[in-house]
Amino acid sequence: MSARPDEPMLVARDVHRHFEGMRAVDGVSIDVPRGKITGLIGPNGAGKSTFLAVLAGTLPASAGTITFEGQDISRLPTYHRARRGLVRTFQLPSEFSQLTVLENLLVAAPDNRGDSLLGALLGKRYWGDDELRLVDQARSLLKRFGMTAKESDYAGTMSGGQKRLIEIMRALMLRPRCLLLDEPMSGVHPRIVDEIKYYLQSLRADGLTILMVEHELHLVEQLCDSVVVMAQGKVIGSGTMAALRRQQEIVDAYLVG
Amino acid sequence: MDLYVAALGFGLISVSVIAIAAVGFTMQFGITNMINLSYGEVMMVSGYAAFYVNQAGVNIWVALIPGALVGAVLSFLLNRFLYAPFQRKGTNHIGMVIVSLAASLMIANLMLPIVGYYTSSYVVDQGPLLRANGLVLTTAQIAIIAVAVILMLAIHGLLRYTRLGKAMRATAANPTLARNCGIPTQRVIDVVWLITGALCGVAGVVAGMNSENFSVSSGAAYLIPIIAAAVLGGAGQPYGAMIGALIIGIVTELSAAAIAPEYKEVVAFGMLVLVMVLRPQGLLAKRGAMAAAG
Amino acid sequence: MNSYYAATLLVYAGVDIIACIALNLQFGISGIVNFSFIIFQAVGAYAAAVLSMPPDTANGGYQVYVGGFQLPFPLPWIGGALAGGLLAIPVGLVVLRKLRTDYQAIALLVLSVIANSVITNARPFLNGAAGIAQVPGPFSDQIDPLTQSYQLLYVGLTLPCVLLVWLVASRIVNSPYGRSLRAMRDHEVAASALGKNPVRMKMTIFIVGGIIGGLSGAILVGYIAVWAPSEWLYPETIILFAAVIVGGRANNVGAILGALLVPVGFEEVTRLIPGTIAGWVPPPNLIPAMQWVAIGLLIIGFLWFRPQGVRPEPRRVFEGSPDAEEVDRVRTA
Repeated sequence: MSARPDEPMLVARDVHRHFEGMRAVDGVSIDVPRGKITGLIGPNGAGKSTFLAVLAGTLPASAGTITFEGQDISRLPTYHRARRGLVRTFQLPSEFSQLTVLENLLVAAPDNRGDSLLGALLGKRYWGDDELRLVDQARSLLKRFGMTAKESDYAGTMSGGQKRLIEIMRALMLRPRCLLLDEPMSGVHPRIVDEIKYYLQSLRADGLTILMVEHELHLVEQLCDSVVVMAQGKVIGSGTMAALRRQQEIVDAYLVG
Repeated sequence: MDLYVAALGFGLISVSVIAIAAVGFTMQFGITNMINLSYGEVMMVSGYAAFYVNQAGVNIWVALIPGALVGAVLSFLLNRFLYAPFQRKGTNHIGMVIVSLAASLMIANLMLPIVGYYTSSYVVDQGPLLRANGLVLTTAQIAIIAVAVILMLAIHGLLRYTRLGKAMRATAANPTLARNCGIPTQRVIDVVWLITGALCGVAGVVAGMNSENFSVSSGAAYLIPIIAAAVLGGAGQPYGAMIGALIIGIVTELSAAAIAPEYKEVVAFGMLVLVMVLRPQGLLAKRGAMAAAG
Repeated sequence: MNSYYAATLLVYAGVDIIACIALNLQFGISGIVNFSFIIFQAVGAYAAAVLSMPPDTANGGYQVYVGGFQLPFPLPWIGGALAGGLLAIPVGLVVLRKLRTDYQAIALLVLSVIANSVITNARPFLNGAAGIAQVPGPFSDQIDPLTQSYQLLYVGLTLPCVLLVWLVASRIVNSPYGRSLRAMRDHEVAASALGKNPVRMKMTIFIVGGIIGGLSGAILVGYIAVWAPSEWLYPETIILFAAVIVGGRANNVGAILGALLVPVGFEEVTRLIPGTIAGWVPPPNLIPAMQWVAIGLLIIGFLWFRPQGVRPEPRRVFEGSPDAEEVDRVRTA
C-alpha cells in the first residue's frame, strides 16, 4: 500500500493550476521526502498557498499528477486525501466558530463510532466510550499547547494566534502521515512558536512528514531539513538553506541575509 | 410551422421584457452583491403605479415614466433602509437572501389590501398589425421591443462611455480599491439602485403590457425567467443578462408552442438548473464579486 | 375552550413542531438553506392521501388522482414519510452536489414554485388546482371523525410521532455526527480537510429531513381531510424559516419554541382579533395579508436584533471542563 521507505512520501509532477487566465501554479514538480520537514518559501504571490491547496485537493489541479505514498491521488477529493493521512491547515482562520475549542478538536478525530447517522441514532450508549477517549486525547493536546482554560470557549472568539493553534491541534487529532502547513506560526505568540517548533520536531522524530509554507526565514532555517523556493508559480530552486544561499539568483530573488 | 414563427415573434417580446428586467437585476448583484428577491415585487408595484395612471386616462406609454419613477424610488429605499444596513452589519450572503425574501413577502401583502385580489389590465391600443416573413406583431409589441433595444443601448452607453459607468464597473470589480481611488462608492451604489430600479419599473409596466392581465401574485412569477437569464449570462454581467434574456425568451416561447403554454416557467426553471449545474459562472464569467459569493 | 378547538390546536402544533425540527436539522444544524421545504410536507400529504383513499372512481368520480389503495393506518403515514425521503434523493443529487450555496437556495425556492405550478396544471395526477378531498383519516371507518373521541384519538396518534421525531433529532444533534454537521455548516472546506464528506452528509440530512417533513404532511392531511396546491405555496416554507429563526437555530428546543410561537401562535393571536374594530369591518382578506406582513417583520426584526433566536444554540460543555476561576487561581498561585 505505501511506498518503500526511501521513496518520497508526496510527489507532485508538473502540476498546473490555472484560474480565470491566471497561472497560479505553472508546472511545479517536487518530492516531499518521508519523515522530514520541508519548507516551501518564496515571495508573496508565488503560488505557495495555491499549490498547497492543490496538493490537499481543496482546489483541483488543471494538469499534472500528485502521488501520495505511491498512490495516485490526483482525482481524490479533499476528504479522501485527509482520511489517507494527508492533512492541511489553512492560511486564513478556518476554525468552526460556533463550536467550542474542544469540539473543534473532537470533530477532527476520525475514529468516533458516533460520527455517522447510524451511530448517532444508536445513541450515547454506542459511542459514549469513543467520545470519552477522544476527549482525553484532545485535552492532552490542549494542555500541551496551553489552551486548557479555553476548552469551552467558542472558537470564534479566540485570538488569531489561538486560532492558529486550534488548527494545528485539529490536524494532529487526525494522526496524519503528512502535514501540509500553511504559515502555521503567523500571528502566534513567540512562546507558543517555540512550543509548536518543539512539537513539530518531536513529530518528525516519530516519522511524520511535513511540508510547510513559511515566511520567517529563521524559523525555516531552524526547522526545515530542506527547502523549495517558488516564484511566480514555478520552482526556482530547492535544497538546503545553505546550498540555496550559494545560488546567487535565489538570493537576489528572495533571500535576504 | 406558422406556430413556431408566431412563437418566435412572442419570443422576441419575451426577450425584450426579460432583458430590461434581467439587466437591472444582474447589475444589482454585480455592484452591490445583493440577490434581490424583491425585484419581482417592485416590478409589480411599478406596474400598478402605471395602472392607476393609465386608469386616469393617461396613455400607457406615458405611464412608463411614473412606473420607472416608482421602481427607482422603491428600489432605492429598499436598499437604503433595509439591505445596506444589514450588509454593513456583516450579515452573510444567505442572511441577505432571507432578508430580501421577507421584504418581498411584505411588499406583496401590503399591496393586496390596496389593489385587491383581482387581476387588472392596462388599456393599450395595440395598433395596426405588421407582418414580415410570417412574423405577425402589433405595433404595440414592436414598440416594446424598441423600448428594450433603446434601454439596452442606453445601458451600454452608460457603462462604456460615461464616468459614472466607469465608476460603476470599478465598484463592481473591487469596491475597496475603487474607494481608495477616490470613487464615492456610496453615491455610486445609490445611483445604481436608482437606475436599476427604474429598469425594474419599466420592466414591470412592459410585462403588464405583454400579458392579458396581472395581479399581485405576478411578482413572484416574473422572477423565475429573470433569474434564469441573469445566471445564464453570468451573475453580475449586464451584457450576459442580455444574452441570457435572448436565449431564455426564445426557448421558453418555442417550447410553449411545442409543449403547452402552462409549462413555460418549467422550461425556464429547467434551463436555470442546467446552467447552474453545467456552467455556474454563466456564459460571460466575471471575476471578483462572483468568486466572493457562496 | 371546547375540545375540538383544543384538539385542532394540538394536532397543528404537533405537525408544525415536526416540520420545524426537520427544517432545523437541515438549516440550523447542517446549513442547508432548503427554501423548498414545503414540497416535502406536500408530497407526504399527497402520498398519504392517495394511499388511504379509495380509487378515484369512488364518490361519483369527481376527482382524478393516481393511487387509491385504501390502505389502513399506519401505512399511509409511513408512505408519506417515505415519499418525503424519496423526493429528497433526486432533488438533493442535483442541487446539493453541484451548486454553490446561494444558487442552492434559489434553485430550491424556484423548485417549490414550479412544483406547485406543475401539480396545478397536471390535473389527472393529483386533481390539479382543486386538490384532493375526502381523505380518510386513520381509523375513520371505525370511529366517526366528527366525534370527540376521534379528536382525542388523533391527538393520541400525533403525540408519539412528535416524540419519535424529537428523539431521532436529539440523537442526531447531540452526537458526534451532529457535531460534524455543525462543523460543516461553519466551515465546509475545513471540515472536508478534516476528512468529512460534505456532500454525503448534506444528502443524508436532506433525506432525513425529507422523511420527517413527509410525515408531518401525512399527519396533517389525515386530520384536515383535504390537500390542494393552495396549501403548499412557497411562502409556507418562509413561515417555517421564520419559526426556526425566531425560536432559535440549531437546537430542537428552539425549533419547538419557534413552531409554537410562529405558525401556531400567529394563527391563535389573529383569531382573537375581533370581527369589527370600533365599527369598522375589515375586509375579509386583510387579516391573512397582515399576518404575512407580520411574518416578514418578524424575520427581519429577529435577524437584526436577535439573530440567534429566543433560545440560541447551546454551548456544549464537557464533564471535567476546567472552571475558569479555578484555572486563574492556579496561575496566580
